[in-house]
Amino acid sequence: MKNSVIWICLFMSTFLFAQEKFSVSGTIKDKKNGETLLGATVYLKGTSNGAVTNEYGFFSLTAPKGTYTLVVSFIGYETISKEINLTVDQTVNFEVKEASTSLDTVVIEAEESERVSIRKPQMSVAKLNAATIKQMPVVLGEVDVIKSIQMLPGVTNSGEGTAGFNVRGGAADQNLVLLDEAIIYNTSHFFGFFSVFNADAIKDIKLYKGDIPAKYGGRISSVLDVRQKDGNSKNLEVNGGVGLISSRLAVEGPMFNKKGSFLVAGRTSYAHLFMPLIKEIKDDKISFYDLNLKANYEINKNNKVYLSGYFGRDIFDISQFIKNRYGNTSANLRWNHVFNEKLFSNLSLIYSKYDYQIVLDFIKLDWVADISNFNLKYDLRYYANDKLKLDFGVSGISYDFNPGEVKPTDPSSSINFRKLDQKRAFEAAAYMSAEHELTDKLTAQYGLRFSTFSRLGGQTLSNYANNLPVVYNNEIGIYEEGEEIGTTDYKKSKSIKTFANVEPRLGLSYQLNDNSSLKASYTRSVQYVHLLSNTVSVTPVDVWAPSGRYIKPQKSNQFAAGYYRNFNDKKYSLEFETYYKNVDNRIDYIDGSNLIGTNNIETEILNGEARAYGLEVLFRKNKGKFKGWIAYTLSKSEQRALGGNAGGPGINKGNWYNTPYDRTHDLSITGSYDLNDKWKFSANFVYQTGRPVTYPNGQYQYEGISIASFDERNANRLPAYHRLDLSATFTPTKNKNRRWQSEWVFGLYNAYARKNAASISFSQDFDSGVNEARRLSIFGSFIPSITYNFKF
Amino acid sequence: MKKYIKLSAILAVFIMFVACDDKIDVDVPEAAPRLVIEASLDWEKGTVGNNQTIKLSTSTPYFQTTLNTSVIGASVKVTNNNSNVEYNFTDQNNGDYTINNFVPVIGDSYTLEVIHDGETYTATENLMPVSPIINVEQSLEGGFDDEVLDVTIFFDDPAGIDNYYMFSNKEDSDLFAELETQSDEFSDGNEQNEFFEKDKDDEDPEAEYNPGDTVNIKMYGISQRYYNYVTLLVEQYDAGGDPFAATPAEIKGNCINITNESNYAFGYFRVTEFDQVDYTFQ
Repeated sequence: MKNSVIWICLFMSTFLFAQEKFSVSGTIKDKKNGETLLGATVYLKGTSNGAVTNEYGFFSLTAPKGTYTLVVSFIGYETISKEINLTVDQTVNFEVKEASTSLDTVVIEAEESERVSIRKPQMSVAKLNAATIKQMPVVLGEVDVIKSIQMLPGVTNSGEGTAGFNVRGGAADQNLVLLDEAIIYNTSHFFGFFSVFNADAIKDIKLYKGDIPAKYGGRISSVLDVRQKDGNSKNLEVNGGVGLISSRLAVEGPMFNKKGSFLVAGRTSYAHLFMPLIKEIKDDKISFYDLNLKANYEINKNNKVYLSGYFGRDIFDISQFIKNRYGNTSANLRWNHVFNEKLFSNLSLIYSKYDYQIVLDFIKLDWVADISNFNLKYDLRYYANDKLKLDFGVSGISYDFNPGEVKPTDPSSSINFRKLDQKRAFEAAAYMSAEHELTDKLTAQYGLRFSTFSRLGGQTLSNYANNLPVVYNNEIGIYEEGEEIGTTDYKKSKSIKTFANVEPRLGLSYQLNDNSSLKASYTRSVQYVHLLSNTVSVTPVDVWAPSGRYIKPQKSNQFAAGYYRNFNDKKYSLEFETYYKNVDNRIDYIDGSNLIGTNNIETEILNGEARAYGLEVLFRKNKGKFKGWIAYTLSKSEQRALGGNAGGPGINKGNWYNTPYDRTHDLSITGSYDLNDKWKFSANFVYQTGRPVTYPNGQYQYEGISIASFDERNANRLPAYHRLDLSATFTPTKNKNRRWQSEWVFGLYNAYARKNAASISFSQDFDSGVNEARRLSIFGSFIPSITYNFKF
Repeated sequence: MKKYIKLSAILAVFIMFVACDDKIDVDVPEAAPRLVIEASLDWEKGTVGNNQTIKLSTSTPYFQTTLNTSVIGASVKVTNNNSNVEYNFTDQNNGDYTINNFVPVIGDSYTLEVIHDGETYTATENLMPVSPIINVEQSLEGGFDDEVLDVTIFFDDPAGIDNYYMFSNKEDSDLFAELETQSDEFSDGNEQNEFFEKDKDDEDPEAEYNPGDTVNIKMYGISQRYYNYVTLLVEQYDAGGDPFAATPAEIKGNCINITNESNYAFGYFRVTEFDQVDYTFQ
């Protein structure tokens, strides 16, 4: 409480100095299609007074009475300026025009490099727009958001064909992935080959690797904020593409007499249509599809409503025996309200769900698991004055966990009906944060997030002897299930366990000169839900579990510092960042843990901890015919789990061991070259230290077979991973003045056909009985692709 | 357009099968050898179960192919803890220790004691019963693949108690048996079936089960602890490090070195009842 008094005093102090000042606010849109622009810079010429537009294109500036030139600039767009007479509070909306030659389109706008943003305290953030993402060479021409962010420093994943991504040595479930504010629980199609985000429906993405603003919470590693396009509010527009794997179609246009607009986008793979033609796989069915929807309506100049939705599905049937269905569903209803020139608000009601179904015909089993949540949140931004901006808000998330339901598919099945315990929880949070210009050179962003999590009743929990769900068997030296000594039945109205945490966030920026600055930040964050996964890569079958009596919330502290510099009139930029983070209560799994279909998950886990540190360098060329960046990361990520109350030394003898996402070196180079109006070329190169793995250290004969013995977890490494991808885009010249615009994209993935090891397996040859090591390469060769995109 | 469809179909399929798997040389760490105790006292239904063998060997580096690892000169003894009868096993000087007057009793507890190189290893286990195999059937449709033969065994799971099973199946021509485990967690008290099928191999028509092939199937009643042990063992054996498998770990059995705790032995002391059937495909 004392703390909050100090905070309030701090805020008040800035109000007291306010003299006669006025505000100008408004929205910035793209002239061509009416899309609001996030991250456009608005400033008063000749002053250091500026602002960056928010997610809804809104800005507000406050300055002493006077006449100013207001300048609006956004990379890739023509800069416009307008005289304003600041004698009253006023609203001015702008529409900016895309720069005439496509040569100026940005590759990346990590931080808009205007003077106003080099001193913005926000660090560890990267923003990519859809155009950039679409330009990168990808597997089979399938544009992929998740793959493109892996070209940034500090972002990796477990290899081809594995889902999710890892940020700064964190696990995949520690990323908060939002699609129009809705939580996306599984980011991939096809077991990780493609991402669920259809690039035709996406405006831009923002990835926070650290220094996470107080308005985000619930995950400790990163926030990936994906925003869908609003839809063209000027003309009807159709975008589409035909690729090897999928085809896409997006329709957008104005509605309600141009007071609103809509976007409907669909994507579907179609390999399954041809599968019946091939004998070996005629009974298989493998496909996925996505449906994106967005609509908005401007009630009046101060009120706007948005509706967005997503539905995606994967179908993976193997010869009638195994049927898989899984996917995300989300919907969001939003209301933007501008109270006045200084106060902007947004109210959202969000629903999201992930469900997974598998039918195993040969044992007549039907398995369903899901997680869903409703989220109500209210966010406000107060542009107090030219030195201070405040963000504050509240949110409540109601979760339902259904970890699994088993049904027999017909009466002859030997399977009994069984439902694992449904779990419910409620997560509430309130936050306040300030972006505060302390001196001409020093700007701070400081905030507090207060979060609570209640595991709700309506279920029965097991009790264990000595309150130990896992015990160490001293004789044999292994962890085993604790002895169950009865159960406790919790009423629906009761809360099983409640947690409350204060999460301070602090960022500082010191501007050295017009072109360079130093930044530092501290983020404390708490995560209450956990993805149970004891495999190297996340699989669609993994289930989420809430914190409660036996599982504690994960808590992380991250410290980061960086140096930022622009060269040659912002043609080049350089960023150095270094970070250290630790995580308490990271779940670790005992040897031989079994997670699927286990009701009492607490008997399979120990409470561990994790730590990661690293150095990231990003050098970019932002302008010209040749654009691109070099990203290099040197890092370490480790974890350990001591025995604690369960006794014994812990997992891996209680020693720190490499997490599966530890990569000592990670180098990514991406570049694009605009040869002329017809041809554009791009290339990616990636080099990474191999993934940590556990190799056998011996063998012995048991039951007539050769059994491998193992020692330290993850003490060995796969061979280094490296790969080159190329792509070329051809735009026919006859396009120029007609409505139908088209382009051909030719790609070559893994150009020099490197056989990167996705895994190395150790096994006994069935015929000779001899042990051997086998390398599995997901792409054993180069992969050509061709895609045709159109627009009218 | 037609050409394009054809091309994409070919490529889509190409993708699904583009993943390639090849044999490579890998340097692996080498641990010091450890004693391996394969003490499986298995009592076949309908027999007296007097003849039993316990095997002692040592572990070797992973890729070593000369496997002369027999341990001789050890002392091996099993005690029935209910009747206090002791069974001393005879060293056959080839790693096998045998006995011909063992008396198995369902539910009794047995303790193994092995003395080797001055260190004593012990383990205790109960003799677990098993239901009989009541039927064996062959079919095409039963397994994963409709085009190859499979064989299914049927048995009744006793209701109300947790049961754990191990199955081993070995065709005459196989070098070694394939192991599987099963618990009645999702199917308590029902009639159970377990099918066995071999994958088709385009290069080797003998790979799958063919008419005339004879397969031996054994079904063991095992303890929960042995189930945990052998399930993990089979899982790690089959997975061998694929990214969808759990990180492999040392598998610890129930043989404790009471002289020097850290020098524990690999292997397991199990006491089971089993039923078996030899089936010749029609």
